[in-house]
Amino acid sequence: MSAINNSELVEHVEYIDWNNSMTLLKKAYDAKLFVLIIGPKGTGKTTLVRKFAPIIHRKLDSINFSLRTRESHLIGSKTLIDGSVSFIDGILVRSMKNGSMLYLDEINSAEADVLLRLDEALDDRRQIVLKESTGETIKSHDNWFVMATINPLTHIGTKELPPQLISRFPVRIKLDYPPEDIELKIIQKYLTENHDEDVKQGIKLANTLRQAASVEELYYAPSLRETIAYGKMLDSGIDKKEAAYLIFGNVYTQWGNIEYQKVNDIITSMF
Amino acid sequence: MAYLKNEALIDIATFLAKRWSENINTSVEFSDKNIVITKINTNKIILPTITKYAGNDFQKYRQFRTMLWYCAMRLRFCEKILSDDHAFGFILNTIETRRIEILGRRIWNGMDDELVFNYAYIWNYRPILNNVYNKVRIVEAFHQYFIIGDVKGEMSSSHFQKIIDATKYSNKILEEAINNNYGTKWLEKKIPDIIKILDIDSLLTIPIQVKNRNNNLITDNHILQTIIKISNKKQYSENYNEKIFKGRRISEEYKNIIEENIKNENKKIYANEIGIKIPSVDDEDETSIRDVDLINRLKIKFKKLKINLKEEFANVGDEFDFDSYLDKHKPFFLDNITSIKTKIMILLDHSSSIAKNRLEYKKATLALCEVLSYLRIRFSIYAFNTTNKEITCWLIKSDDSKWDDVSARRLSKIEANGGTPLAEVYTKMKSMLYLKKPDIFLTLTDGEPTDPDAVRNAIRSFKLSNIRMAAIGLGYNTLHVITIANNLKMLGYEKILAVSKVNDITDKILNILDKK
Repeated sequence: MSAINNSELVEHVEYIDWNNSMTLLKKAYDAKLFVLIIGPKGTGKTTLVRKFAPIIHRKLDSINFSLRTRESHLIGSKTLIDGSVSFIDGILVRSMKNGSMLYLDEINSAEADVLLRLDEALDDRRQIVLKESTGETIKSHDNWFVMATINPLTHIGTKELPPQLISRFPVRIKLDYPPEDIELKIIQKYLTENHDEDVKQGIKLANTLRQAASVEELYYAPSLRETIAYGKMLDSGIDKKEAAYLIFGNVYTQWGNIEYQKVNDIITSMF
Repeated sequence: MAYLKNEALIDIATFLAKRWSENINTSVEFSDKNIVITKINTNKIILPTITKYAGNDFQKYRQFRTMLWYCAMRLRFCEKILSDDHAFGFILNTIETRRIEILGRRIWNGMDDELVFNYAYIWNYRPILNNVYNKVRIVEAFHQYFIIGDVKGEMSSSHFQKIIDATKYSNKILEEAINNNYGTKWLEKKIPDIIKILDIDSLLTIPIQVKNRNNNLITDNHILQTIIKISNKKQYSENYNEKIFKGRRISEEYKNIIEENIKNENKKIYANEIGIKIPSVDDEDETSIRDVDLINRLKIKFKKLKINLKEEFANVGDEFDFDSYLDKHKPFFLDNITSIKTKIMILLDHSSSIAKNRLEYKKATLALCEVLSYLRIRFSIYAFNTTNKEITCWLIKSDDSKWDDVSARRLSKIEANGGTPLAEVYTKMKSMLYLKKPDIFLTLTDGEPTDPDAVRNAIRSFKLSNIRMAAIGLGYNTLHVITIANNLKMLGYEKILAVSKVNDITDKILNILDKK
């Protein structure tokens, strides 16, 4: 099932705004323009959003889209409460009413019918007709703000967003893997000891694999999550080469021995 | 060499060279000549075939791999590479080799053991100074002393002093270049100073005897002793001579290459037994038939056919959907993977009529293979032509191997020549067809077969074995296309397609594959 975190509490989140995304988000928010963040998995898209919500003093409602996401998750559904049928608002309707910040994660994983209902709410009128309930029209709160993320189309399960829905998000921020020095700073935040030289090597390895994946010579590109995990393994006392195999190398066995061996050869040359 | 073929190395060598050089356009070729060439402008590395190295198979592989690493580092760090035919270029390249090694080791310090091992061979490949004459002896002595810190053979003390002075100066400028991030052009300006110290002419010709590896008799003991000598002189991170000699770090990598090589060889033996040949691709370059724009255009066009998840509702299942139940639809949902499941075998006509459009035809067929591979469709590809007045069937890619640079080079290698004796070709393909049992056997041809009755019989017999027989006719205009399509229909193919533009081949083929 799609994971829905209603009224997610914004906790302390570490984020380094290396490409000035926070300023761009603030300008888009002030201009009431919805934002689409585009980038591969594990580049800090969700972290950026979670960090931004408290800056604009808005509650964060988020939904992670998948094939399992239904219209009813967004709009709401009828249910039996104390012997009477009531309509419980879905996350979209609730967010529109409350004027929270709505975060639509991996929006291009959703089915077409779900996207259609979103499109209705996101157009310039910022309203939606609750045909599932009494047919009333819900108008959004003045401060309602929506951000969405999409993964590149190479990811399994992703689809192209329909053009009309893309146009609902006129500000598009591209979030790629950070430069090596920034990635090091991000990883450092998760570590208790100094492993800078070894971490740099891990980042270099990750970037080498990302480059190979970008030209489809490998099936998988390691994310920022994996370089952080690599740093944490170093912190736990594991040797850098072993950590490299554990975090970056072994995963490639699922694409066959040749793929795995190629990555191992790179690790052997590097460590 | 017992059985390690260059072909088994191309894929891994290209992959490693691209990653090491951080350049996705890097390509690797083999040459029968005993030379190493790195072409910066075309990102091309040309290495001697693996048989040119000394030692056993594993030792040869290790030298080849290190040589490849140096070439990749040249692509990564050199601004230019001069010819080493003359003293000036030879000396610059000597110093550049050390510079790129220092820079490369900053990233690839897992190469240390292999570099030491390679030095042991380099030392043994170098000529003895007593056998090098005139001032070339000074240049060779400088090279040996700068690279290894020692010289092989004897020379006068006055000359040796020049070598020491030139090496000292070279190390000084090298350090300056490394510390200040200066490149090839800066070092090049310093070479006249070294030439002056050595008291030689910058245009002094360097003979092959000095430039190339000399296959002296090199024993394991020689190598081990040299490793000890070198690792004592050089400051590498690890110093376990026996470990370096045995090369355990890359033994697993080598083992896998050998396994792949054996698989390839077995395929070759089997193919040969049934009369199908595999083109050799050592010196073949496929870049001229790789139309990146066309490939990308087709990939974008057909990306929707790539594996995708499709949700379907059913009356029974494991996952219950409450909303669907309330709406009185089928309440259980299933995720089905949609992809093209058809196993296809493709036969490419390479008769002489293809020759005039050879390049476009090869570009289109290469793009087709790239797209089929991108969509993870199981396919094999064959071609036929006439060589030495004999019909030859060529295996370009088998259905259980990956489409890679080697397959592309095989496609590039096949010459368009001879007629279209399809029945004879089908007879040669018969055992492969019955063994592999593709869902569709598709023939791409631009003309009438020379033996239509026999072709008709062959098609009928394949159809009886539940193989769908399809054909694509290539014409040069609409009228020609219609004529070819009619001819093919008469032959009894179940599915006939015809195109006048070669770039439409991929569209047509994908349209006949079942999407499940």
